[in-house]
Formats: sequence, structure tokens, C-alpha cells
Amino acid sequence: MMVADALGAVGADFRVLNQRQIADCSFAWHIEAGLVDGTLRIRTETFRLADIRAAYVRLMDDQLLPELADEPEGSPARRHARAFHDAFYRWIEVAPADIVNRSDPQGSNGSKPYQAQLIAQYGFSIPETLITNDPNAVLAFQQQYGAVIFKSMSGIRSIVRVLAEDDLNRLEQIRWCPVQFQALVPGTDVRVHVVDQDVHATEIMSDTIDYRYARRAGGTVELHAIQLSSDVEEKCAALTRGLGLIFAGIDLKVTPSGEIFCFEVNPSPAFSFYEANTGQPIASSLARYLAKIQPA
Amino acid sequence: MVCEETDLAAFWAAERLRSRGLPVEVVTGADLAAAERWEHRLGRSGTTFALTFAGGERCLHSQEVGGVLNRLSFLPSAWLLRIGGPDREYAIQEMHALYLSWLHALPGPILNRPTPQGLCGNWRHPSAWAFLAAQAGLAVPLYRQSSEDDPAETWQAATEPPLATVLVVGERIIASPVVPEDQHEACRRLARAAGAELLGINFTPVAGDGWGFSGASVMPDLIRGGEPLADALAEVFV
Repeated sequence: MMVADALGAVGADFRVLNQRQIADCSFAWHIEAGLVDGTLRIRTETFRLADIRAAYVRLMDDQLLPELADEPEGSPARRHARAFHDAFYRWIEVAPADIVNRSDPQGSNGSKPYQAQLIAQYGFSIPETLITNDPNAVLAFQQQYGAVIFKSMSGIRSIVRVLAEDDLNRLEQIRWCPVQFQALVPGTDVRVHVVDQDVHATEIMSDTIDYRYARRAGGTVELHAIQLSSDVEEKCAALTRGLGLIFAGIDLKVTPSGEIFCFEVNPSPAFSFYEANTGQPIASSLARYLAKIQPA
Repeated sequence: MVCEETDLAAFWAAERLRSRGLPVEVVTGADLAAAERWEHRLGRSGTTFALTFAGGERCLHSQEVGGVLNRLSFLPSAWLLRIGGPDREYAIQEMHALYLSWLHALPGPILNRPTPQGLCGNWRHPSAWAFLAAQAGLAVPLYRQSSEDDPAETWQAATEPPLATVLVVGERIIASPVVPEDQHEACRRLARAAGAELLGINFTPVAGDGWGFSGASVMPDLIRGGEPLADALAEVFV
């Protein structure tokens, strides 16, 4: 809704497709002679797809929509919701419009080590990483690098934790499934939101390993807007473009010596936390991109 | 060669490549499912991996790989059959993330590179293939989809084998003679647009005259390409 408010502020002609009202909507699209077109009906308004110039997409799993909670499997309401979302999703992937963001380019975030290999191509340092099911290899890794953290490799979120004494006692369990370990990188967390050419950097100060869960862990977290060097800004923008994205949340860490590590590129960043705490105009950047408004 | 143990086309290709003097090691899904030790490293020194297979004597090290014919579309069936319990879905997600990374790290030519949408190339929805094929200049039938349809119908496998197939290996074309040569460059454009070094493109007759696009696969039936396909594959890996 922050983006909707920002679109309103710039006088853009836009509509909100609310998934929770999908029962009152319909969608039909086609590819004919290489051209993509069709219609979208949102309640009482109908739009030609070829007239849609841009879209900001943040879809939830339609099977989890609250309006469908009491619907049995295969009910007309569920079938309609599934059919709508699938058709809409397929159109998004090929639509001749600015889509923030199409689905395929978001896929790299489903494998952190795969994405790290892509990130390294853009001049960022990546953490020393070992993925293994061999406890002895983990112990040698810890011996080499000192403090070691472990976290999930996939898109399933995990809380980053330091490998501690208790964990060493259950290390044999990794023989069942390899686990990702990384050398702890000291320094300051910086989250960078990139919208096309706009770059918004936020410094995060926290006394916990994973600032996202600081308050839950009884810790503290403070956010401040900062200005990155033009070189780093360009790298962030190039990385976002190179992954096929318009909008990204890039997680960096700046070491005391000034080395910049990149941990992850989030293709569907929940940016409101950062904007709410710093006033950085991320929603405004999105609105201006979508509405094709050049910066003053 | 990385493939499922049931992939006859892969074993055919391995045998044809060996007959052309290439040393081919076949690593099956069953081999990977039974691997005893996994080690995948990333950092300042680059990216490496090392697998130790069951028994401990056979190993696969990234630095020893010269090129790969990659026919593994998803996690090995043998591994999926072995796992269960409340963490099954988590384990699948984690192992898929690992497979995407170590396959991507393979040096040398790879047919095809893994993608998040398929470990042996992007398994696109028929609509996405139709769009790319039309952009490449192939004749594509009308594609329609709406909120009144059954989404599962578009993914249903064809009941009949394709009448004609063009196999693209890099810039090489191995085509059924019924597909006109003036379609070959469009086939190359489609493969490039799809990011696939190896692509099978299917055609069916269209009303009037000519052949129209009916689908594409990043894991085509290699046997249909015969000896010309084997020659094209060997060229890639020599």
C-alpha cells in the first residue's frame, strides 16, 4: 500500500488488483502472431492488457487466501482462484510492460550458494563457505576461520546462528543432509534497495547476529540512511540488472577494513521496515519507475 | 554425463561419444543418491566441489571435469524415494539449492547449464515457449488462457510423439528433412533466446503448407538425432 500511496502522490493512473477480491475478477490473455494481449476485469472495470504499461507484483500463494480457508479442495471458488492466478502469472512472464519483478529472474534467490556465484561476478566479496555432510570437514573449517555461522541454503528462511558448543555435540546429524557453514564476517550490515537506477542504502546497527530477529532475541537494532560510494552504487545497480531484476534488496556487510561482502539479493524485498525507520523514499522510487516519471 | 539411470537416450549418447574416442563417465541419480560425502566450497579461491560415492573409492572432483552432458532435470528419484518425515520438504529445498549450485560450478562446456527452473535447463511453461518461438520467427499457433480454464491442462504431455524435431547443439542443426531449411536460423534464435546450448524443437504440420512450432524441450530425445547428433555433441566436448 506504500507504493499505492506513492503512485497517488505522483498522480499516476493506476489500479490495485487485490488477490482477496479475486472472486470478482477475471483474466484472459493470448499470444497471436507474436503479440500479447487480452483483458483484465477488476470488479466492474475492464482493461485491455496491451494498455498496461507497468505492474508491481507481490502475490501471495493463492491457496492460502483467507477467503478460501473454508473452501474444500476443487470447489468452484478455489478453481477460479487457481485459474486466475495461473493465467495472470503466465502473462506476467511475457507481458510487454515493465514488471517489477518477473518470476523467472527471482529464482536465483532459491539457492544462496548458486546466487553467490552470480554475485561474485559483479565484484563483490562472498563469504568463505563450506557446504558438507562431513563433521570433520566442519571442524577443520572452524579451526581455519574461527567463528563460523550456519544457515539454510534454500529460500526457506532460517535464523543465522553461530556454531556453538551445543551444535558441535550434534554435528553427526549433518550426515543425513549437507548444511551450509560460513566464516563469520565482522562489520556493519547494510541493506541496499535498488529500483532501476535509484539506490537507497541503510546501515543497520544491532547487537545480534541476525538483526531481523534482534527484538525477538531481546537485542537492539537501529537503522540509518547512508550514502555509498558511486562505485558501490553502480555495482549494486549492475548486479540487480544482471540478475534480470528491476527492484532488489541487497544484503551487504562492510568490514572494518572496508571490504564489501554481499550475502544475498532479495528479489521481493519487504522494504517498509527500512523506509519506516529512515524515511528513505523507496516507495517513491518504485512509483516513479512504474509511472515513468524522471527524477527532477 | 549426469542422468537418471532410466534415461536410455543419455546412455545411448554416452556410448556414441565413447565410440568417438571421448572418455565418458556416467554419474546416475542412483550414484548421487548414495553419495557418502559432499563437499562444496565457495570463496576467495573460487568454487569447487568433491563427491565421494558409495564404497568410498569412486570420487568426482570439479577440477577433473572437462565437460558435462547434463540430463538431470530434478533431484534424483532414488534420493526422493529414500527421504521422509516432517522435514522432508525442507530437505528437498536444501538439496535442490545444493544441486543447482554444484552443477552451476561445473567447469567446461555444459549441455545444459542448470537454472532455478530446471536443473538441466529452464522447463518453461508452454506459453513462455510459444512467446519465445514467435519472437524467434517460428510459426506459432494461437495461445489462449483465461481464468475459466484448468491450469493443469496446459502442462499435459502430448499423447503422440512429435512428427518432426529439430535438435540444436550450439550453432549446429540436426533436423528432420521435412522441416524446411529456412526454419533453421529461427531455431538457432530460439535456442539462444532460451539460453539453451542443447534444445529439441518440435513441429507439426499446419493448415495449407508448412510446419508450425508445437513445443520445445531442454531434455530432448537424443536418439532421434542419430549419428549427426552424436557428431555435434562430440564437437562440443573435444
